[in-house]
Amino acid sequence: MAIAATISSAQFEESRHSSGQELVKKHVEPILKTENLWKPYRARKVEVPALRSVNFSVQPGESVAVMGPSGCGKSTLLYTIGGLASATRGTVLVDGNDLAAMSDAERTKLRRSKIGFVFQRFNLLPTMTARGNIAIAQYIHGDGFDPHRFDVVTKLLGLEGRLNHKPSEMSGGEQQRVAIARAIINEPKILLADEPTGNLDTKNSDIVLQMLRQLNKELGQTIVMITHNPEAVTYFDRVVHMRDGIIVDGIPAD
Amino acid sequence: MEGPDDLLVDDLAAEAKKIKVGDTFNLLNHDWRVAGIVEHGKGARLFVPILTLQDLGGAHDKASIFLLKCTRPEHTEDVMSQMQTLLPNYKIHPLKDYLSLMTSTNVPGLNVFVNAMIALAVCIGLLVIFLTMYTTVVERTRDIGVLKSLGANSPFIVRAILLESAALCLGGIAAGVGLSYLVRAGFLRAFPTLSILITPEWILRAGVIAMIGAVLGASYPAWMASRRDAVEALTFD
Repeated sequence: MAIAATISSAQFEESRHSSGQELVKKHVEPILKTENLWKPYRARKVEVPALRSVNFSVQPGESVAVMGPSGCGKSTLLYTIGGLASATRGTVLVDGNDLAAMSDAERTKLRRSKIGFVFQRFNLLPTMTARGNIAIAQYIHGDGFDPHRFDVVTKLLGLEGRLNHKPSEMSGGEQQRVAIARAIINEPKILLADEPTGNLDTKNSDIVLQMLRQLNKELGQTIVMITHNPEAVTYFDRVVHMRDGIIVDGIPAD
Repeated sequence: MEGPDDLLVDDLAAEAKKIKVGDTFNLLNHDWRVAGIVEHGKGARLFVPILTLQDLGGAHDKASIFLLKCTRPEHTEDVMSQMQTLLPNYKIHPLKDYLSLMTSTNVPGLNVFVNAMIALAVCIGLLVIFLTMYTTVVERTRDIGVLKSLGANSPFIVRAILLESAALCLGGIAAGVGLSYLVRAGFLRAFPTLSILITPEWILRAGVIAMIGAVLGASYPAWMASRRDAVEALTFD
């Protein structure tokens, strides 16, 4: 069996034959790729580059943690690869779609079908119950309420008993689990998490991180997570460090 | 009524004027003895002998109006034309025309006043809805950012806000109609002889006007929300 040997291992997916004996490596396109990404932000009258020629790629099924000091551009990177903000230069390829070449409406459509967001402050709709917060993502997706998928996701995240509670009646950990359920209910290609454990205590942080790892390992969910927590990165396949708007390395977590 | 100064009063007028059988009641500068109370709906609130009334008005054996009742309503036009031939110097009107002269729509300037009040109410309602929805949109900026992060497009956000406004308006209409009936009941309790009509046509008209006002008032806040930058919305405090 021919094995390509000259291409970086990150661009290959390993799989076994049914015999389980031989390793086969085949070329896999990154699900997420940025090339020479620039994005400034305006601080009063001064324009400061938040992202400076960021090159970054994520393989399907990979979990990546992005670490770096405050203000280094992590969140800007997340919002840009999620299509919430547009880059001034460079390309962002999400599942082969170039966000830079898309209109706002097209980016919205892509986000609806391919990207799920989890935020540090949970960002649940306060007037809705957990059920409503999860179901609204299905309605926005356009296929209406899918009770089977809903049951699978809520069971996976252990939310069966909390579905009729509003965010104000739930703990931080529960709220974040609802937010994760909302993010994955439409089976997005990529889950983007912006410091999802930032507002949680250690116990709830571990629960949320374990659930993210479970999603990645058992369902093959691609995850990109921003974090300040050094312990959190142990749950991920790869850690990327950022500083002053650039990625300074990409090292294995272990 | 047995005597020339006897007076009959209907139950609503008796309640309003706090009078009972046997009381003396002054009307047209004349003291009348209340001889009885009749059920309302007899065409007048007070009944007195016509001869006494003619004497008081200095019009003994004279009449200013005659009411005729046709045995069959469909003969009214024929009866009127025959009477007009016989009595060419008299004005003859069907009762419905005569009554219409007494309705509010024939009060000079009342329609203009009513329309002005409607316009004022619509303007105030529009401003109130606008301010309410504007405040709602500002307060829920982060929620709008969340909806955008979930992939909600501009029409979805506009529709959501307009629907919320319409729902609020429906509640307002129901409350308004209910309140109108309550106020009407209160007025009728205080002034039993007053006649206040709340017709289905006017309820419908008020509802439609309110709904148009609500949708118009919420349009700009909805448009503003749909144009909001998602990242700014998500980081809004």
